[in-house]
Amino acid sequence: MQPFDNRAWFLLLPALLLLGVVGALPLLAVFNYGLHDIFTLQDVHWVGVEWYDDILGSGRFWASLGRSLLFSTLALGIQVPLGILIALMILPLGKRAIWVLMLCALPLVVPWNMIPMMWLGLINPESGLLGPGLAAVGFDWKFTAIHTWALILAMDTWHWLGLVVILSYAGLSAIPPAYRQAAAIDGASRVAVFRHIELPRIAGALTIVFLLRFVDSFMIYTEAFAINAGGPNDATRFLSIELGEEIKGFSYGQSAARASLYFLIVLSVVWAFVVVTRRREVQG
Amino acid sequence: MIRTLVRVAGLLALAGFILLPFAQTVMVSFTATMPHPGVVEGTIGLVNYRNLMATPELRASMLNSAVYVLLNVALCLVAGLPAAYALARYRFLGDRHFLLLIIAFRVTPPVVLSLPVFILFAQIGLVNSPVGIALVHCLFNLPVAIWILSSFISAVPPEFDETAFLDGHSRTGFFFRHLIPAIAPGIGVAAFFCFIFSWVEVVFARILTVTAGKPITMAINALFGFQTDMGLVMAMTVLSLVPGLAMIWFVRNHIAQGFTLRA
Repeated sequence: MQPFDNRAWFLLLPALLLLGVVGALPLLAVFNYGLHDIFTLQDVHWVGVEWYDDILGSGRFWASLGRSLLFSTLALGIQVPLGILIALMILPLGKRAIWVLMLCALPLVVPWNMIPMMWLGLINPESGLLGPGLAAVGFDWKFTAIHTWALILAMDTWHWLGLVVILSYAGLSAIPPAYRQAAAIDGASRVAVFRHIELPRIAGALTIVFLLRFVDSFMIYTEAFAINAGGPNDATRFLSIELGEEIKGFSYGQSAARASLYFLIVLSVVWAFVVVTRRREVQG
Repeated sequence: MIRTLVRVAGLLALAGFILLPFAQTVMVSFTATMPHPGVVEGTIGLVNYRNLMATPELRASMLNSAVYVLLNVALCLVAGLPAAYALARYRFLGDRHFLLLIIAFRVTPPVVLSLPVFILFAQIGLVNSPVGIALVHCLFNLPVAIWILSSFISAVPPEFDETAFLDGHSRTGFFFRHLIPAIAPGIGVAAFFCFIFSWVEVVFARILTVTAGKPITMAINALFGFQTDMGLVMAMTVLSLVPGLAMIWFVRNHIAQGFTLRA
């Protein structure tokens, strides 16, 4: 048991100071801007919650929210099971699993603005390695919404699968061999081993995976915008793309209100998730 | 037997999926996509890499990126180590809340904070400076560093600390001479994740470099124009991967160790 000592707070001071300057202060500023109409930094008027009324009353906001939620659901639904499956598959490889982990980590080091360029190059009908083949089967990411979605999802999976694999593998490889031997003696099926031994041990790592992947997919901007700028017909117009448009249009007050709103949505989902997982930990 | 076959097929499919975009990029980077003096369009060769090295802005951008990324890694480790030690070794009033707080900062979307960060940093003169980017990247990297480091410190038995104190080491002496060597792999993994997340980030890097100090990501963006030399863009992309690949190689044996702490 760790000793109880409130002086430990002194050790947190540098971290708190840093996060205060780059996190808390700007957050307060965003909330404040969101309550004002800002023409220039000198010409500012109080408008209260007017921006929030505007945003929540617009159909476009709710449509974008729906699209972003759908995208996050699909991204998590594909990447988490696939990542766990790969981690389970490479577990018996022992030391050689490191090579697969390194392979999976490769896309993580690509600058985010280059990822869509690489993929657009890959599917270019004239010069891409996959281009001619995809064009032959009628793949048209410019004008067919479902194809644009498929492309962005494939790209996002390519980008982030490695993180899921690494975190799941970390949890799985930490399970003492005795657990599996005991299960083998009991004649437990593969599914039962996963459900009762492996899953509980990687629950902690999976919580983090869920949170990180939820936030990043929910607020996807750089990659999605470069593929089709929200098109065709707004079919990939996610929440962050609307915010980006407002910032580019110098509508500071409204974009700040929108940013605060997004932050609150993200925070409430994260909070709900943490509360649910903690409650389950206490029960289990 | 069948199981091995399925596994091999699965791994080959995975390798194909991950490597295809890289193959395309490397291929284009060695192709002259535009006519250059003495080089016909479509020739295979090093022309793009030669042009890249001959452009001062592109060379400078690599240096700019390297400076703020290294600075960010240093900041995260210096502020993260004591915090991670406190979380791994002590219980204190509000420790759970501190964990929630850093999770909240890690999940704050950069695009939400881009505007006030720009205004704040403009007032204190940190726009166009690598220090500004290094500071703001702590928003998402410091929580990750604290999380990884404290799970590595937790893995060291507390008796290790006590023996050092009994031997007459001061707290700082213990920190530098005993704890840091003991968790060196953890520091490597934390540095790896801070490094790559800072290296690939574009939202803050874009808004904080208006006229100068452009990082490699923005230098690549600037290459796009009326007639884009895709070969040059891809050569630059390939170069931008090199530091990340080196980092993967350095931490390969420890990459999957630092994630055992429960949130």
